[in-house]
Amino acid sequence: MTVFLLVAVLFASCKKFIEIPANPPSSITQKQQFADSSTTISAVAGVYTYFSGNGFAYSDAALTYTTGLSADELLYAQSTDFQQFYNYSLTPLNSAVNNLWSYPYQSVYEVNAVLNGVNNNSGLSTGFQKQITGEMEVVRALYYFNMVNLFGGVPLVTSTSYSATDRLPRATTDVIYKQMLADLTDARKKLTAAYPSAGRARPNLYTALALLAKVNLYDGKWQSAYNEADSVIQSGNYTLESNLNNVFLDGSNEAIWQLPANQGYYGVADAQYFVPGYPGANLNFLLTAPLLNAFEAGDERLQNWVGSSVVNGNTLYYPYKYKNVSASTTPTEDQMILRLGELYLIRAEAAAHLNNLAQALADVNVIRARAGLAASTADVASQTAVLAAVMHERQVELFCEWGNRWFDLKRTGTAAAVLGAEKTGYSANAALYPVPQSQILLDNLLTQNPGY
Amino acid sequence: MKLTTLMLFLAFMQVSAGTLAQKVTLSERNASLTTIFEQIRNQTGYDFAYTTSTIKAAKPVTIDVKNEDLKEVLDKIFVGQPLSYTIQNKSVVVSIKEASLFGQLSAMVKGALNIPTEIDGTVTDTLGHPLVGASVSIKGKNLITQTDSKGNFSFPNMPQGNYTLVVSYIGYEKLEVDITNTGKYEHLAFVLRLATSQLDQVRVIAYGTDSRRFSVGSVSTVTATDIEKQPVSNPLLALQGQAPGLNVTATSGIPGSQVLVQVRGQNSLYLHQDNQYSNPTKPLDQPLFIVDGVPFAAQNINVNQFASLVTAQSNSGGINPTSAGISPFGNIDPADIESISILKDADATSIYGTQGSNGVILITTKKGKPGATTFDLNVNTGFNSVGRPVQLLNTQQYLQLRKDAYAADGATPTNDPNNYLGYAPDLTIFDQNKYTDWQKVIYGQNTTNTDVHGSLSGGNAANTFLISTGYNRSTYNYPGDFADQRYTLHSNMHHSSQDYRLSADLTTDFGYDQNNSAGYGGAQDVVLAPNLPDLFGPSGNLLWNYKGVDLTSYNFYSSLKQPTDLENYNFNTAFHISYKLFDGLSIGATLGYNRNATDEHSIDPGVAQNPAYLNRQANFSANTFQTINIEPQINYDKNIGKGIFSALIGSTYKKNTNNSTYTTGQGYSNDNFLGSINSAPIVSALDGYNIYKYSAGFARLNYIYDSEFIINLTGRRDGSSNFGPGRQFGNFGSVGAGWIFSEQKLFKKSSCILSYGKLSGSYGTSGSDGIKAYQYQALYASFPTYVPNFQGIRPGYPTNLYNPDYSWATKKSLNIALDLGFFNNRLLLNATYYRDQENNQLVNYPLPIQSGFATVLGNLDATVQNQGFEFAINSTNIKSKDFTWKTNFNISFNRNKLIAFPNLVNSSYASVYQIGQPTSIIYGYRYKDVNPQTGLFEFYTKNGAISSNPAYGPAATGGDEVPIGNLEIKYAGGLGNIFTYKQFSLYVFCQFSSRNAPNYLAEVYTGNQLGFAYNQPSAVLNNYWKAPGDIAPLQRLASSYGSVAIGPALRFPQSSGVYGDDTYLRIKTVSLSYQLPDALLKKMRIKGASIFMNGQNLLTFTDYKVGDPETPGAFTSFPIQRIVAFGLNLKF
Repeated sequence: MTVFLLVAVLFASCKKFIEIPANPPSSITQKQQFADSSTTISAVAGVYTYFSGNGFAYSDAALTYTTGLSADELLYAQSTDFQQFYNYSLTPLNSAVNNLWSYPYQSVYEVNAVLNGVNNNSGLSTGFQKQITGEMEVVRALYYFNMVNLFGGVPLVTSTSYSATDRLPRATTDVIYKQMLADLTDARKKLTAAYPSAGRARPNLYTALALLAKVNLYDGKWQSAYNEADSVIQSGNYTLESNLNNVFLDGSNEAIWQLPANQGYYGVADAQYFVPGYPGANLNFLLTAPLLNAFEAGDERLQNWVGSSVVNGNTLYYPYKYKNVSASTTPTEDQMILRLGELYLIRAEAAAHLNNLAQALADVNVIRARAGLAASTADVASQTAVLAAVMHERQVELFCEWGNRWFDLKRTGTAAAVLGAEKTGYSANAALYPVPQSQILLDNLLTQNPGY
Repeated sequence: MKLTTLMLFLAFMQVSAGTLAQKVTLSERNASLTTIFEQIRNQTGYDFAYTTSTIKAAKPVTIDVKNEDLKEVLDKIFVGQPLSYTIQNKSVVVSIKEASLFGQLSAMVKGALNIPTEIDGTVTDTLGHPLVGASVSIKGKNLITQTDSKGNFSFPNMPQGNYTLVVSYIGYEKLEVDITNTGKYEHLAFVLRLATSQLDQVRVIAYGTDSRRFSVGSVSTVTATDIEKQPVSNPLLALQGQAPGLNVTATSGIPGSQVLVQVRGQNSLYLHQDNQYSNPTKPLDQPLFIVDGVPFAAQNINVNQFASLVTAQSNSGGINPTSAGISPFGNIDPADIESISILKDADATSIYGTQGSNGVILITTKKGKPGATTFDLNVNTGFNSVGRPVQLLNTQQYLQLRKDAYAADGATPTNDPNNYLGYAPDLTIFDQNKYTDWQKVIYGQNTTNTDVHGSLSGGNAANTFLISTGYNRSTYNYPGDFADQRYTLHSNMHHSSQDYRLSADLTTDFGYDQNNSAGYGGAQDVVLAPNLPDLFGPSGNLLWNYKGVDLTSYNFYSSLKQPTDLENYNFNTAFHISYKLFDGLSIGATLGYNRNATDEHSIDPGVAQNPAYLNRQANFSANTFQTINIEPQINYDKNIGKGIFSALIGSTYKKNTNNSTYTTGQGYSNDNFLGSINSAPIVSALDGYNIYKYSAGFARLNYIYDSEFIINLTGRRDGSSNFGPGRQFGNFGSVGAGWIFSEQKLFKKSSCILSYGKLSGSYGTSGSDGIKAYQYQALYASFPTYVPNFQGIRPGYPTNLYNPDYSWATKKSLNIALDLGFFNNRLLLNATYYRDQENNQLVNYPLPIQSGFATVLGNLDATVQNQGFEFAINSTNIKSKDFTWKTNFNISFNRNKLIAFPNLVNSSYASVYQIGQPTSIIYGYRYKDVNPQTGLFEFYTKNGAISSNPAYGPAATGGDEVPIGNLEIKYAGGLGNIFTYKQFSLYVFCQFSSRNAPNYLAEVYTGNQLGFAYNQPSAVLNNYWKAPGDIAPLQRLASSYGSVAIGPALRFPQSSGVYGDDTYLRIKTVSLSYQLPDALLKKMRIKGASIFMNGQNLLTFTDYKVGDPETPGAFTSFPIQRIVAFGLNLKF
């Protein structure tokens, strides 16, 4: 054994035999990443970038098609478990549900990591710290906005330490709303009217205000929603595109927040999913009869934002707001996150609730006029009629965008009546998607939504 | 268990050993002594020990005896010869009768005065080469010595009297000779024969060799003779069933595909979480692979990066769904392998420390043999067919099933895609009478294997060489020109200096493997609707549309037009040098280098694509694994008292690197450009890099006392670059001891039955660091290039969570073995009990995705235990002049259990494992049956209620899933019989295994639900529920996801309803060969020739219904192949 000890002692000093370079060639340490503003901005760019379908704010179109199926916008033409969204037979094993839950949390980690990296970082100027912090708060608020509307209360994660986050229970809906309001209120203080980079890819003050308006609208805080939407509309920075085909283009004057498609060979994900690759190709998703019937005669949106294809003598319709399957097709399209059209409808809805019915109808008519339609015939004296006009306009203006229709039906309490009449299977429990089974397995403090 | 009993019975039956014939019949005139000896040996089995110089002076012999006793015959032969003989232990030792005149004189004086005299002699092998380091001891005395570099030994000053000398050397049969020291000078010449008993054959172990006789570790060996009879192209497949405690699983029947290996069960717990949305999968521990002393750079990892026909064959019912791919071992020619040792316990493996904690597989290639230069040529051709084809529905049956499904849902099939529930082009648009047997189209053809292997070897005692080369071509069953081809060049050179002090060995292997495959697709397409329209146009072009129905997703041939070529290069070189400083002490070093490089190229040309939607693509990848291994060593042997002490002190420096690149070009304008990246308008690239450095100091001390007691100590200190600062080093060791109780006098007397008995045991620790480098830091990486810049900025993202604190996982192993030899070791039995416990588990700990990542690397204070019994029997049942019959049998029983896991209930593993249960535990629903009224599957909820839609999730989280079984292999083993009769030799090897596994219904209800537009095994016919009151094993059909039958259907594969017995016995190998008679060979002027027929996977006995029991649960994976090969072997 003495020999062994001798050898052991000899080798204890041989640390250099197992020395490897400080970091692998393809990675740098967190400290190196946030050393100065030029490398910090690369982590910020990471937040805005899509990666392997794990897109920024569901830009892989998952939010659009899952909520479109659950609402009355889309049909799924092929046999996979996407049909579970359509007929409310979702199971906690559904892979698309898993994505809806997982992608935001991975991105929220990136956001939190950037916030950690910039806060009180002496290598960065105060102005830069404020700008980045504000942007990240807007991004985080958007994630939680979608999460809370899909699943109800979800775990609230603001830390990058896994020991602090791996055993979180679900926060209540109220807590999530408070967090969104806190983030957006802070962002409003930190951001300026100028966009920090080319185009409207990174949030400015009005992006924060626009999202704040939407959050307050969903929260029933009509006056706040009205004021914030009004500030954005009144800012003069944005105008509606008169040509509907220009709305989703890069550089659209209507855009409050739009991201480059940024998917390499392919264009905006919605185009990839909805537009057939060639005439006669199988369609992934079909627009439903209730949606098609909702367009009034002469609505230019039906001509410009709805595509059609003939298969075996049957005409099929698909969403056509985004048209470029390939990234190289011009003019370039960007992924729209918030646009002025929606802000008019937010102000209209808030105004209607505040009994400012004329203002509400005026805003609706702005949108109708752009679509080539005459002014609304709704009774300006009836709050119910005006609200119905607003909701109808939202249905045809915002279809297949960001889950608006599904969320509208749920938050206005009309889902059971509308969806129950159109298809079978809807129940109150279907309003919230199930928490993925794999996540409950990993954190058994997570509770399942009722009915699953 | 019935199967086991039967086989044990068979194995014991065969032990009815015949006794050796001791009568001799001889008729020779003027024959040389060697000829006479050879004849006697053939008739009696007695060996002759002599050197060529000893019998140089012998006179020719003329003799004519019939059925006389051996002793009498020998006396006749030795009359008038200057030689004498003694019979010792079935050996005839021949020595020179008289010494020199001086010797005689001095001996007379010494004899008269009774002066002590020297006993000396030499030990050589049968070719006259000195055996260096052979041990010679005198029984009953405290005397032992070793031969020097010329094979000489001496015992000075021995009093006159009778002695028993024991001569032994690893790999040679032990010799015990009675001598009388009369005082006169006598030079003893011992000749040791290569061991024919498995007890004494040389085995390769960690940093050396040993024999079963003196081993205290648990080691199994598979030798060239077992390997060469199997017509397999991957050497790992030749291990199937051959060694107890070793499980070998083929992932598919595709040429070149991966073969999984596990030694003594699963030790680690860490879950694979490939991405955030997949359920975690359980791991599969594989042993460390070492080829000629060099750790195999790629280990047993898939070398391919592309998805191809090979990777498409995932084995969903198997252990690890990510396992399918191209095996790195496809590049080693089994014909170049001399032996494969499987090291299992702490004594055998702890010298490999970190690396060996899951067992070690040592592959040793062939070395040159001294003698006349010989050229050996082996040629064979094999014919392959699907071992167990799956019977699928024909068009009428299929269409009826579809109609039944719509009827069950009360829906009407339509041709309108807007009616998404009723849209059924197969029922409303496609030809109702067309029939394509997709299985026959896809893998119904018979294919061939061609194998050629030639080797040239020779040399003398000091210098030997071997050069061999091989070629193998195995074709796929798929339509098209798909094949796996291998070219190998192997060489070995050995040199010893004249004084045998210096010895050097250089072994070099080069292998080139080419796998021509196609795009992802293939076997799983056998479920395409049998009435699918033609997918080919008259000119061979692909069709994309039939009466308005888009066929893109059905076009099986599209993937076949996407060539995927893989080229794998394996270069392995091992250089070993040692120098004996003085007797007992030698220094040496092993230097090794292994490089395993893979280039892949796959294309998606325009001809494979729907022209309306064209994006020509090409992928290029390179993936290189390298190992540099440097191991200086000091060996010291010394006789201490009655025993031999040997020590090995060494150190290891090892560096592993893995570099890979992956480049994709898109948007090419012409198919002919696809061979180059230059013409691609859009290029994206990825690379990967991993580095691992490892260094260790180790020592092994061994003491064998009086050939009876053995003690073995190993210890080591390991350093690994995979850990963070301060946690890089760990200490491990083992202690082993053995007692050869048959050396006791008691057994000596009754030795006619029990000839060998040993009780041995070992206990030790080893560590595991099997993780990636750099995980102890929080890192940021750039997005791969296929992700464009964001507004001119290269985006970065965090790659892992921060945890600097993880360190070694440790495994403690206990091994106790009993070895018995009967009938002069013609029957050897081994029984082993072992218990391994791995704790401080190093895991990719799964996290809920809210933490940002699916996993974090850390240690888990959990303990997994594997314990079990292994039994092996080697028996020479009959050995006579013309006929021999040998039997090998092994069986092992491993029991895996999670024995500790603090706070399991509140961990991420709560619903994956359970304390007291095997790690392969399955959670699911307890299946009841099909409700005769509703026609739906029914399950028991956790409270015992009955429901067709039990709640998701394990009981702990409010669901109804409970443990419903496990996938442990209950028992597995093999039974081999080899018969030789004159020139004929027949080998029959059966492999068997038993466990609980998913059946084909797991796949039926997981993917394309029963009733959907996909074909199904015909086993479902008449088995599904149709009308109230039916008692049926399967529930009513579903036509779409809108069906009420879908909920229960999705739960069914998660239930006990799809699990069943998976016990099989497979006639793995049948090999029949015929050696051409000597007379004919002489005429042909060749040294040897044989013709043979080898069959693999010929027959399977099982109750397992649809698909192959070796790849359970997946009837659409590429089937295991049945191979029948015919060949010729020539020696020049």
